[in-house]
Amino acid sequence: MKKALEITLGIITSIGGFLDVGMIATASQAGALFGFRHLWVIALGTLCTIFLVEMSGRFAAVSKHTIRGAMRERLGANFFVLTLILSLLVNFLVIAAEIGGLSLALQLVSGIEARWWAVPAGVVVWALLWKGTFSFLERGIALLGLVTVAFVIGAAVTHPPLGGLMSGFLPGGPGPGGDPPRYWFIAVSILGAIISPYLFYFYSSGGVEDGWDESYLGINRVVASVGMSFGSVVAMGVLIGSAMVLLPRGIQVERFEEAVPVLAVPLGPWGFYLFAASLGIACLGAALEACLSTAYELAQGFGWRWGESLHPRDASRFALSYTIVIAAGVVPTLLGLDPLKLTIFSMALTALILPPVIVPFVILMNDKRYLGEHRNGLVSNAVVLAIIALAFVLAVVSIPLQILGG
Amino acid sequence: MSAGHGKGRHPDLWLGEILDQQLLDRQERPMGMVDGLVLQVRDGRPPKVTHLLVGGVTLARRLSTPIRWLVLWFARRYGRGEPYRIPWSAVRDVGVSITLDLDAHDTPVLYWEDRVGRFVKRLPGA
Repeated sequence: MKKALEITLGIITSIGGFLDVGMIATASQAGALFGFRHLWVIALGTLCTIFLVEMSGRFAAVSKHTIRGAMRERLGANFFVLTLILSLLVNFLVIAAEIGGLSLALQLVSGIEARWWAVPAGVVVWALLWKGTFSFLERGIALLGLVTVAFVIGAAVTHPPLGGLMSGFLPGGPGPGGDPPRYWFIAVSILGAIISPYLFYFYSSGGVEDGWDESYLGINRVVASVGMSFGSVVAMGVLIGSAMVLLPRGIQVERFEEAVPVLAVPLGPWGFYLFAASLGIACLGAALEACLSTAYELAQGFGWRWGESLHPRDASRFALSYTIVIAAGVVPTLLGLDPLKLTIFSMALTALILPPVIVPFVILMNDKRYLGEHRNGLVSNAVVLAIIALAFVLAVVSIPLQILGG
Repeated sequence: MSAGHGKGRHPDLWLGEILDQQLLDRQERPMGMVDGLVLQVRDGRPPKVTHLLVGGVTLARRLSTPIRWLVLWFARRYGRGEPYRIPWSAVRDVGVSITLDLDAHDTPVLYWEDRVGRFVKRLPGA
């Protein structure tokens, strides 16, 4: 019974962790511009994330080490510092984008411009981390996150053609008359949005903090695969809804507000509020996880006291780390940067930085000294490395083309 | 690796099982990482590990040039001199982490934790 509860909670949490501002932005643009033609990219990114989340949980349960601590031990101080800096940069971009998304959700409801909401949004994120305990945050946000299922309902109401959906899962390009650089740039942003390093640092730290052992390996496998798949279905709901509602109307989602009809058309007046609530909660949840992940990475790499359940004065450097990254994350929105552009840019850049952040982790997962008989098999290595390599190559090719093309 | 082995039962330790490992005090409180080691070079006999070193400057000396310069500059301005030396005799157990027979608060390794803590206490809600 206890295990069933843990599995349920884990699955709900991973839905919250999966869906964020990047996912909503990239999936709605993809659907609005290219119909169902990016569905296979979401599926591929999900597969990679399932493997990575499963690995990070397995690492915590078997080795009892934190990923950052192990990277420093195993890969040397120099490499550790280099990957830490890159990872912090990615986290900063993600946090800035989430705060932008949360501010935009507040703008939708209030009519007051997003940039004025940046500071209140940052304060809410900070106060929740400062005052909340781990289980409160995890469960509270997870339950609220269920509102994002509205995207699946919205998509179902539009009655998408089954044949079209199926063909979207076959890897392909932009189709006749499509704009290939744009298509592949969006594909890169989707991969960057789905494969978020903060997600598995967060997940793994939770495992270490909760004292997982090898009896959790089964739960871990179920939570990773079912939870990420559920999150993926919601993301696909965003894409399908956009393809059915925005594409025929010629709405290209140049601004976040233009994505509102994805829910407002199929679900009526409620759809507007459900869109704002889904966006706001998805961003809040992801911002909390990314902030904690930043603090975990620093604390675990330098041997500070850490833990979300500790009072800030008992883990002061840990608390100061997330305080600083939130303060920095507020700045882009406060300066009036467009939340959508900020998000798309951050996600594409994340895809570019993935190899130096993910490959060392895969190396650790093959280390007998940490994982013994539970180390990675050939399939896990091949799947993750192939998808990361694909994301990197696509990023290297399509980001310059996108910048040159406008 | 997951099972801790006491010093006595497992006298052969590999360098990587000590360097860059998490240090815990008597009450299992984190007190930094092993940033460096002190070896005593002896005539005609193999060198012997005498101390563990804890301190950002020690870590920085092992880093590539730009980062090393940055940390050393910061340390000259705000630092507190030499890294803290922990005698090998204070090591109680080497496992997933290195447990010491010390109280973290009796050492200077929590200097920044405490200093930041004093600042944190002044923030609202702390």
